[in-house]
Amino acid sequence: MSSPAVQIRHRVPRLINSKASAAVEKARLTVVPRARTRAPKVPFVTLVTLVLISGVVGLLLFNTSMQQASFAATSLEDEATNLAAREQTLQMELEDLRNPQRVAMQAQDMGMVVPAAPTFLGLDGTVRGEKVPALPENKLDLTPPAPIKPKILAPEPTVVKVTAEPTPTTTETGKNKAGKNKAGKNKVDQSAQGRRSR
Amino acid sequence: MPHETNGPAPRSRTDARRASPRLRLRIGLVLIAMVLSFFGARLVQLQGIDPKSYAAMAAAESVENVILPAERGDILDRNGLPLADSIHGKMVVADPYMTTDDAPALATLLSQRLDIDYFTTLTRLRKEGTRYQYLARRVPSTLANDVLAELREAGYKGITLEDDPIRDYPGDDVAANLLGFMGTDEPLGGFERTFNAQLAGTDGKARYQSGGGNRIPLGESTVVPARNGTPLTTTIDQDLQWFTQRVLNQTLKQYRAKSGSIIVMDSRTGEIMALADGPTFNANKALDADEDDLGSRAINDAYEPGSVEKVLTAAALIDAGKVTPRTRIRVPSSLARQDRVIGDWFDHGNIRLTLAGVIAKSSNIGTVLAADAFSPVDLVGYLQKFGLGQRTDIGMRGETPGILTPGDVMTSQQKDRVAFGQSVSVNVVQMAAAVNTIANGGVRVSPSLIKGSATTEDGTVVGTDVATRTRVVSEKAARQTAKMMERVVDENVGVAPRAQVPGYLVAGKTGTAQRVAPECGCYDGSTSVSFGGFAPADDPRFTVYVVVHAPQGEAGGGSVGGPAFSRVMGYALGRYRVPPTGGKPSRLPVEW
Repeated sequence: MSSPAVQIRHRVPRLINSKASAAVEKARLTVVPRARTRAPKVPFVTLVTLVLISGVVGLLLFNTSMQQASFAATSLEDEATNLAAREQTLQMELEDLRNPQRVAMQAQDMGMVVPAAPTFLGLDGTVRGEKVPALPENKLDLTPPAPIKPKILAPEPTVVKVTAEPTPTTTETGKNKAGKNKAGKNKVDQSAQGRRSR
Repeated sequence: MPHETNGPAPRSRTDARRASPRLRLRIGLVLIAMVLSFFGARLVQLQGIDPKSYAAMAAAESVENVILPAERGDILDRNGLPLADSIHGKMVVADPYMTTDDAPALATLLSQRLDIDYFTTLTRLRKEGTRYQYLARRVPSTLANDVLAELREAGYKGITLEDDPIRDYPGDDVAANLLGFMGTDEPLGGFERTFNAQLAGTDGKARYQSGGGNRIPLGESTVVPARNGTPLTTTIDQDLQWFTQRVLNQTLKQYRAKSGSIIVMDSRTGEIMALADGPTFNANKALDADEDDLGSRAINDAYEPGSVEKVLTAAALIDAGKVTPRTRIRVPSSLARQDRVIGDWFDHGNIRLTLAGVIAKSSNIGTVLAADAFSPVDLVGYLQKFGLGQRTDIGMRGETPGILTPGDVMTSQQKDRVAFGQSVSVNVVQMAAAVNTIANGGVRVSPSLIKGSATTEDGTVVGTDVATRTRVVSEKAARQTAKMMERVVDENVGVAPRAQVPGYLVAGKTGTAQRVAPECGCYDGSTSVSFGGFAPADDPRFTVYVVVHAPQGEAGGGSVGGPAFSRVMGYALGRYRVPPTGGKPSRLPVEW
């Protein structure tokens, strides 16, 4: 930075010594007017204005587009959720259609029966397994089990024991019954002792 | 403008009226200071005294906190078909403040579309002093959205939707006793409850600023995504399970039995492919069912296995080298043991049976005589190795370990009874695994219901990954026992010809035991009949065990359990394409 200044200092005395003209002297002392190039103001102002305006407008547009994207995103998200829900509902319907109970009911309505045992056909015409016809007796009882009411809905019947009046006929039947009961009990006891297990 | 023309004169007048600049400055300063001090005071009030409340109020204006519900994991069968699955659902919520006026119209529409009670809905729509009323829960999402759109179109306000996932059991009652069911918000039984930690997942949270229902793009936004539950894969085969349940249901109906269970097990891996309990319930409407039917009787109830247990005694005796299938036994018509008399189920004089004959004809006396070679400790030791008296720990709730008296305190009378399956209690899975030990060449595979592994509520890891194999009897002993069991289903010499599967070699054993009635805790004359067996007998693939409690009429293990066994086994063999082996049927002599 400092080296050019030093050069000037050395060069100028040399000039004085060689030419020593007054004009040069004068010229050396004259304050050189600063060369002011006045750039036209208008383009600059326009530029700044343009930059500002485009910046603001751009920001606005950007913001708007972001908002729009947000609207779009929200609605697409909603749609995705709805479609996912729809898919799941359809999946559920499919599961219901695939329910073995439903398939079996339809098959049995068409007269199909699950065979008692499989038979295997070989490519060479051999048959493995016993050929047993699928008979109507092989039909499975497919009616779903009757819904069992909770105990609270199906209370036990209230049993009221009434002692019959001792008339001759009833006494006789009563005796018979008692005898039978006794016999029955004995039988049970016997089986309990003898037939412990099969 | 005219004011400006005669400028100097008025200006001088104002100058005169104004006080000195210094004074004016001071007054101005004081005024500004006063205003600023008000600002300062307000600042201190806002920021210093209670800064949070205003921030919260500002946030509440636009910030929305949303809970993202985690989806509950599915419960799958062995082929990946859902036995229980979750779908999006909504709860319909009303704000009575806004719905009171339109209540009748709204109630009509909602009760028609959502299948809910008109009067309940009407009351809720008009309820005073609240702004939040459930109208319907667990409505499929699509239906709920359609209804809401309809309401909006008609101009009604005050009805909103909230997330409320639905648990669906596509098979209704298929495997219901294993799966359990869901209450309003929490699992109430079965796998749903045991493996809840795995199935439930964790709800997520979203917090964002919104305006007019849309998210503000550059606003605050944090999302913690929901972690969905992990699916649970079982070893159950949905179709086989369904078939087994229907066969069981038919059997129970036919014999007007109280309850029963059928279990199908893969002989080689111990995987339980079907476990039917009856009576069962519809998992989608669990609360309509009898409370007693909600658990799994196969796991929770202990019963005396009866003669099926004889095969365990026989296999143990052969393994210990005490007998062979051809060992000759003289069977008297009755056997007095101390103060008790042991009888057989059929009347006979003195007969001469081989051990195979004892099994084929299911003679108690013959078994007791053969088991005389064992001390109680020997017998109990073998039975323990077969898995009796210990929980199988397959991941079902409330499993009973059964009752097996320790050998060192067992009396000889008790031992005699244990040898033919009384005075010992088991659960269905235990017994099936024990019979399966014979099928699997003497190696007991611990049964499993979960494919892979899963951790139960109490921290036990269960599943096929942790299944254990222990040798109980030698392969030779197992094969010889299987040969003897083949004679059970023989038309001429056995007691259960109806258990045959056409074309296949079947080995099995019947059982009829006195049943302890839970009502009185005593033998009430009812029986538990059972049939356990496997096929093909010379290369077993499936073990099926049937037990029916308290059948009515003339019912034995062969006549009740046999046909059910045959149907289920035939279906399983066909379904898994197991061809007949073409082996020669057992010709072991039964008499001598």
